[in-house]
Amino acid sequence: MSDPLQISQKISAAGLDAQSHRMRIIAENLANAQSTATTPGGDPYARKTVVFSNKFDDVLGTNIVGVDQIGKDPAPFRIERNPNHPAADANGNVKYPNVNMLIEMADMREANRSYEANLQMMKQSRAMVMMTVDLLRSS
Amino acid sequence: MLDQIVPALPGVGQSSPVQADATIRSRPVAPSEASNDFGSMLARMTTDAIDTLKNAEAVSIAGIRDKASVQQVVESVMAAEQSLQTAVAVRDKVVAAYLEISRMAI
Repeated sequence: MSDPLQISQKISAAGLDAQSHRMRIIAENLANAQSTATTPGGDPYARKTVVFSNKFDDVLGTNIVGVDQIGKDPAPFRIERNPNHPAADANGNVKYPNVNMLIEMADMREANRSYEANLQMMKQSRAMVMMTVDLLRSS
Repeated sequence: MLDQIVPALPGVGQSSPVQADATIRSRPVAPSEASNDFGSMLARMTTDAIDTLKNAEAVSIAGIRDKASVQQVVESVMAAEQSLQTAVAVRDKVVAAYLEISRMAI
């Protein structure tokens, strides 16, 4: 494949894919915002982070974005006192996930905007291809 | 429709008015042949377009079965639509050229 417009569409498609993976991770984080351990004193759900990287694609012969790795946020867990909880340690403290709703919401918005930008890029390159093909037609 | 274009392509190559060479006219043009004349170029383009369409169909079916993401389905269908539009435009041009020749005053 050597048509730059088609390659740019593929790159945008990879961007869409990457952003949807990011959305998935955010959804996981939000859904597990209250997931504690089941054993006393155990660690709760750790917030997941997603790392993107620019990888070389053999078929396209160019770099496209992809999910490089899904890591864990090393931030300390939120500790609340709740002796009745099954995950409470000897002192009655329960560790809650280090998920911050505000950060997740901001992340979600950013993923949404990046998705939109990639879609727009796709639309534009498609419009350029179609404009060029129309040149054949309307003469 | 595209399948009908491919068998017709050798004919297209032969009817090309720029090819005065008799050896080129008599020789059928195979799509796999790596020659540079107009007919084989068209044949290659059409084969590519058919491949894109087939891929789009496969990905759409995979999408229905939840095996492919929405982005993949949309992207491949859009690529297929693009190549179909290009193929139709080229076909229209070729047919127009053919008709133009047939209308030539003798």
